[in-house]
Amino acid sequence: MLTIIQNTFREALAKKIFIGYYIFYAIVILIMIFLVNMDSVEGVMSLADSKMLVHQVETGFLTISWNLIIFFSLISTASFIPSMLEKGTIDLLISKPISRPMILISKYLGAVLFVFLSMVFLMGSIWLILSLKSGYWDPTFLLSILWLTLAFAVMYSIVVIIGLTTQSTVVAILVNFFLIFVLCPLLSVREAVIFSLVTNETVQFVFDFLYYLFPKPGEFRDITTSLINSEQINMWKSSANAETGTFTISWLSPISSVLFLLVTMAYSIYYFAKKDY
Amino acid sequence: MHVIETQNLYKEYTQKFSKQKVNALNDFTFNVEQGEIFGLLGPNGAGKTTLIKILLAITFPTNGSAKLFGTDVKNHRAKTKVGYLPENHKFPSYLTGEQVLKYYGQLSGMSAGTDMNKRIDEMLGMMNLTQWRNTKIKKYSKGMMQKLGLAQSMLSDPDLIFLDEPTDGVDPIGRKEIRDILAQIKSRGKTIFLNSHLLSEVEMICDRVAILNKGDLIKEGNVDDLTKAENIFAIHTVDALTMDVKQKVLAIDGNAGIGEKEINTEAGIDKLNSIIDSLRSDGVKIQTVNQKTSTLEELFINVIKKDNTN
Repeated sequence: MLTIIQNTFREALAKKIFIGYYIFYAIVILIMIFLVNMDSVEGVMSLADSKMLVHQVETGFLTISWNLIIFFSLISTASFIPSMLEKGTIDLLISKPISRPMILISKYLGAVLFVFLSMVFLMGSIWLILSLKSGYWDPTFLLSILWLTLAFAVMYSIVVIIGLTTQSTVVAILVNFFLIFVLCPLLSVREAVIFSLVTNETVQFVFDFLYYLFPKPGEFRDITTSLINSEQINMWKSSANAETGTFTISWLSPISSVLFLLVTMAYSIYYFAKKDY
Repeated sequence: MHVIETQNLYKEYTQKFSKQKVNALNDFTFNVEQGEIFGLLGPNGAGKTTLIKILLAITFPTNGSAKLFGTDVKNHRAKTKVGYLPENHKFPSYLTGEQVLKYYGQLSGMSAGTDMNKRIDEMLGMMNLTQWRNTKIKKYSKGMMQKLGLAQSMLSDPDLIFLDEPTDGVDPIGRKEIRDILAQIKSRGKTIFLNSHLLSEVEMICDRVAILNKGDLIKEGNVDDLTKAENIFAIHTVDALTMDVKQKVLAIDGNAGIGEKEINTEAGIDKLNSIIDSLRSDGVKIQTVNQKTSTLEELFINVIKKDNTN
């Protein structure tokens, strides 16, 4: 397993997209340094002010960049499965005394671990910059490393299944783009937007069904920002308070997304184990 | 225990667009014993690669069973003592020659350390690739890639090696080197399963061959036995044959080909003996009696033609 994970890292590092990926992160980090200097946080604010500002910057950063980070991570790792399935590569891999499920799981974990370390670099750097500049050291922001990695892991299970069935990196990226930037955001505002336009119960049921069926990468962000800001998180059902204008996320979103991940990966493993190459 | 054992293997493919069913293997039963170099021959589409892929569980049979060292190939542990060089193999281009061997060595169950490094040195030396060990393989020539592939297949010192077109893209000197390496492996009691289009090469290397056509096993046996042409004998005499002697020979076998000092007969062992008796009774001195042989290529073409006509 470790051999395949290690090779997945080598594959990632060998790709030109990896350089682009880290240039993007470096730019983000530099912008953060620049912005924090602009705000002149150093030394003039009280701890309470610093805390509020840091939380605002962290929440703002996550809100803007969350989906982009996941999508960039998916682009940089989407080719792993199709390249593994190329003729002459897959034959050799399967001929080794390793079970097929282990090959696929190792490849999947390699990609997830690669993104996890990238998140440690990016989020760790941003946290360090904010903490050094503000003097307020709150590690809660570092939870974004885990939540981003988990959101990536969920979406990467789609890349795996599409990669296995179509052997196409492009299709996997396009489907993820549609899910992350179109379908999932649309489904998450279905009650506020769609249901005000469509009153038919069957259609509403279909939208509800799709909402719970598909992963919700954006709501992983809401969970993270709620944790950073010490906001309440409901157990099963998200709720909106019209009077205060606040929205309370529920744990159901990540739970249903993780279930999606498990089902998708289970089917991918089954498919890979039975397929002729 | 056989090294390779198949029972009534049957493989059916469904073509992607036409949805037509194609039989890649029909009721295929055969065994390979330890220490043999076994050659698999057949025209394109005969089912050779399908057979190798089934034996390595890369493809699954529609029916029947296959075992390696007595273990069903569906169990990945059956491949513990197996090496494989696929046709048109593709190694990760971002690795160096040494890294390729390390990667596949570890996948074969070798532990990283002194033993593996020693074995890598040995393999690279054997393939004349030592000076290229730290070069990225995207800079390797086709022949070098083939040699690296062969090194990869032998790295873990497997007891059975599957080689699919091992000399493809290799120059004549390289081919000779590969043949010598295979002979060396065989002398250590290892089993080699060879799939090659180069029939002269198969004839030189293999102990036993199987010929496949359209998924059917149409001929199998020792190379020496198969290349012996049945009932075709040549008698060479010391002195030129007289007309009287020739007439007597033709009386025994009317179709015999008679030259000045040579008689060729296809009439079977009894008539061969009658001709020899006749020559001896006339005081003709016999120099040699040989059973004629055909090359593996001649045999292959004849067998395939015959099967296609049937």
